[in-house]
Amino acid sequence: MLSYIVRRTLSMLVTFVVVSVVIFLMMHAITGGPFDGYDMPLPDNIRARLMAQLGLDQPIWVQYLRYMWGVLHFDFGVPYQSPGETVLSLIAQAWVPSLTLGGLGMIIGAPIGILLGTTAALNRNSPIDYLASALATLGLTIPVFVISMLLILIFAVWLGWLPADGWGEPKKWILPIMAYAAVPIATYARYARSAVLDTLNKPFVTVLRAKGLSERRVIFQHVMRNSAIPMVTIFLPMFVGIATGSIFVEAMFRVPGLGAFFVSSIDKRDYPLEMALMLLLTMMFCVSYLISDVLYAVLNPRIRIDGGER
Amino acid sequence: MTTPALELRRLTKRFPARGRIGTQGDGGFLAVDRVDLTLPRNRVVALVGESGSGKTTTGLLALRLLGATGGTILLDGEDITTLNPKAMKAYRRRMQVVFQDSYASLDPMMTLGEIIAEPLGIHGLLTAAERRDQARRWLEKVGLDPSYASRYPHELSGGQRQRVSVARALVLGPTVLVADEPTSALDVSVKAQIINLLQDLQADMGLSMLFISHDLSVVRSFADEVVVMFRGRVVERAPADRIFDDARHPYTRALLDAVPVADPKARRRRKFLTAEEIAAATPRFAAHELEREPLLDTAEPQLVALAGSHYVEAVVGG
Repeated sequence: MLSYIVRRTLSMLVTFVVVSVVIFLMMHAITGGPFDGYDMPLPDNIRARLMAQLGLDQPIWVQYLRYMWGVLHFDFGVPYQSPGETVLSLIAQAWVPSLTLGGLGMIIGAPIGILLGTTAALNRNSPIDYLASALATLGLTIPVFVISMLLILIFAVWLGWLPADGWGEPKKWILPIMAYAAVPIATYARYARSAVLDTLNKPFVTVLRAKGLSERRVIFQHVMRNSAIPMVTIFLPMFVGIATGSIFVEAMFRVPGLGAFFVSSIDKRDYPLEMALMLLLTMMFCVSYLISDVLYAVLNPRIRIDGGER
Repeated sequence: MTTPALELRRLTKRFPARGRIGTQGDGGFLAVDRVDLTLPRNRVVALVGESGSGKTTTGLLALRLLGATGGTILLDGEDITTLNPKAMKAYRRRMQVVFQDSYASLDPMMTLGEIIAEPLGIHGLLTAAERRDQARRWLEKVGLDPSYASRYPHELSGGQRQRVSVARALVLGPTVLVADEPTSALDVSVKAQIINLLQDLQADMGLSMLFISHDLSVVRSFADEVVVMFRGRVVERAPADRIFDDARHPYTRALLDAVPVADPKARRRRKFLTAEEIAAATPRFAAHELEREPLLDTAEPQLVALAGSHYVEAVVGG
């Protein structure tokens, strides 16, 4: 297992380097630069000086190596859009709302989805099942900004129960958390339904009933345990996807989160910030997949990585 | 006459037709139609028939794993047809099951030791340590090394897994074992081993076994009585040797024809009958040929008694 983790970590580094090169190239492939805005055109000489100051006059591979050298020392540079800060402090600051709202949405949404899917599976082909499946399909197909709009319309405008803005006091968190929770609820409901149905149809479940195990314990001790594996393994990657903020949700609820920076850094050719965001995301996805795979092996006796141990 | 270990009386199962929400399709599918079956103590009764004949459903009904539409189930003479799950639990100890798919029959998340010990835990028998010992003893009894207790189902071959299924079924010391095609998924050589194992354990423990199979060659070696099902009905029931030597129902003969013969010279041309041909060929007996008076006084096919405890579905008269 240990050698597996080491090997995976090494291959993760390769992924990391490849992704960084690709992102860097794509970023610079977009025409224009950070000082090519139309609204306040800079004189050529000033522009050239700024470009030289930031090292943007260097060949692209030099720029890349310089940046990566910085990354190795946890120096992700200074964001062009806000030169008073560092990229790291900007991300650290903006990530708090995203992580809080997205993370809570995920943590609340996943169990609700599991409950919904399991209930649907246990009441297969009943109205409950149809309702749950319909909800799950809606949750996945309606875009999150429409869901956000509906939430605002219902809870803030019509009922007037909750504020439509989304940061600051916890009361304001509720609507964005609900919007974030839609995808995990829907995804988990579908996963849970099919996993539970799959397990319920196995003869070993029938054998358990034949042995006199009560239905409740059949479900909780055996069916849930066997159905849990796919649900555990999708959790972390999904968490990373959601807890890094959604530009739509954050824009709808005016949350000062990370999501907006993904777009604005591209828009403004803010190379250091964009690189940092993408590298951060890559890193988190890589780590979350590694953890998921290790968890999968731990949970599932059929998978023994390396074929060792047992 | 001693009480049979298991008796089914006019057991019926109708599956509702699946329709749209709210509508109940009328009719549905009659999977098991008024089946009578007696499993005497310490005997092996084979229930044979093709896929879809209702034999597996009959097994599930007998075990109360599926609710019957009608009829009665007697376990050791006690009516268990309508017991609630709680009352049923005590009876479950006496009636166990082995299924065909050895892999899906075992919880992949549990070690073999846990799997075999679990029934004891469910019924609150013995301490945890004693249960573990018992599991290891049972592994040995079914011909596996006790060290297998810490292994997982996927590490075993199909035959080995089926041995584990048998051990798990018998660890509670049941009187009745329903074996639903326990050998159908196995190689011929392994098949023989499992049959021998079941036979030995049956004799040792005084088990009464309902052996469900579509394969008459397997049944021949150890069944005392054979019950043939066709389209949810029992069409013939007789001591095993009579079935093999003197089958009276055309469907039974068709099943016997399907058994491969090892000697190429003895090979005969196989006959495949359609359901209509079988229905058209229902045997006909005059009343005086029967051992007992027929139960029904109609021209409908019914199970009639012939000499030598041989029952066959036939039309009386003519």
